[in-house]
Amino acid sequence: MNDHRDQGRPEPAGRDVPSHDEALRQRLHALPACMPVPPDGWDRLKAALPPREDVSAALAAAPVARIAPASRRRPRRWAWPVGGALAAGVALYAVLPAVMQSRHPASIVPTTLQVQASAMTEEYRQAMAALPQQRVADYQPALAELDQSAVQIRDALAQDPRSWHLLEQLQRTYALRLELTRQAAMAATGLTT
Amino acid sequence: MRISILLSAALLLSAPAWADTRVDDRHAIASGGRIELSNVAGKVTVRGWDRNDVQLTGTLSDGLTLKPEKSANRVRWEVEYPRRSNNGGATLELRVPRGVEVQLGTVSADVDIDGVDVKRLQANTVSGDLRAGGRSGETALTTVSGDVLAQLQTARLDARTVSGSIRAGGGVSGDIGAQSVSGRVGVDAGRTQRLAVETVSGSVELSASALAPGGRISAQSVSAPIVLRLPRTVSAQLSVKSFSGSIDSQAGTVERPRHGPGSSLEARLGAGDGDISLQSHSGSVRVRLDR
Repeated sequence: MNDHRDQGRPEPAGRDVPSHDEALRQRLHALPACMPVPPDGWDRLKAALPPREDVSAALAAAPVARIAPASRRRPRRWAWPVGGALAAGVALYAVLPAVMQSRHPASIVPTTLQVQASAMTEEYRQAMAALPQQRVADYQPALAELDQSAVQIRDALAQDPRSWHLLEQLQRTYALRLELTRQAAMAATGLTT
Repeated sequence: MRISILLSAALLLSAPAWADTRVDDRHAIASGGRIELSNVAGKVTVRGWDRNDVQLTGTLSDGLTLKPEKSANRVRWEVEYPRRSNNGGATLELRVPRGVEVQLGTVSADVDIDGVDVKRLQANTVSGDLRAGGRSGETALTTVSGDVLAQLQTARLDARTVSGSIRAGGGVSGDIGAQSVSGRVGVDAGRTQRLAVETVSGSVELSASALAPGGRISAQSVSAPIVLRLPRTVSAQLSVKSFSGSIDSQAGTVERPRHGPGSSLEARLGAGDGDISLQSHSGSVRVRLDR
């Protein structure tokens, strides 16, 4: 981003260093080479560290504890690039699913409509279970048709989980199926509907 | 001997005809009164006439009885059946005056209505077919697995079926609703204020000669194709959507997202006064402006 913003910016005139940069450089040189440790500094640092025996036990238990002790290890030139790549890989592994999820949430997290459809289907099944199931010849073809239609609508909703009209169709189909089941039950008992 | 045997056989064969009960009932009803008829099986025919009374004629199979309830403003006939048996049903013809309300209910009996001029017409059946012709201020035709054929002048029609088909025309206009699950729906309407059609897998074929100012047309299906024909002069905002079906319209341009399924079309027809919304999940949608 900065590269783009810097493009076209005019170069400083000549090689003159601005006066405030020179003043800053001199102040930096004037700083002491090392800071003296406060009198109670080591005690405060020790108090902040974990107990020594716990660290040793953890190192002993961990597989990496068999590698050379930290005090004898020397900094390796490849450690930073490899560590960086590893961190980047872990970050990619952790972040990429979230990014993909935000782009295609339907494939991972159910949409509100899908949740509503599932809840509606569950309520419908409970309502159906509460109704007497009577086989009345005049009603059977239509009831079978409604069952097939409900499956078809649920499949369509899985493909297009943001379609309100499919949810409404499913609701109407369930309502009609329940009503006709009730009518069939009443017809079987000889009651008019 | 041979003659007596033949006579006995003839008597036995003709016995069911003797068992039928003739119906011939008549009742004077006030203008705007309600006529109700309930019959499980057989057939119900309704015809209009220019008299002020209502007449019911026909035959009842053996074991069936007719239960009438009458008042000045209402007459109700119900055919009562022996439990768990329809014994062949009843064949009935109803003659109705003008301006009344007619309410019919059957289970498997077909209903045939023609030549009527009524204030309100309502017919329900389970597996019977419904056929309605004539004139009605308000019409509701409902069947579960039968077909609906409405060729009548009505300003308000509501037709419903599950697995049967719906065909409406012959002067249907105004406010029209049609719902089917798997049966096809065909509506040939006149000037339309509201036309709403829904199916799951039944194909939809609609046409209207005109859309009233601010009128609305909507058709929804899950897997079936939708065809709409309108005059070129129609004034409406057209909105078409399909998830996996094709869109073919004589107005507007089909838009498809760069990524993902679905296609849509938005177009302004004329001054864009009314609203037209067509939507099918996997069926094709066609719009023709050649009515």
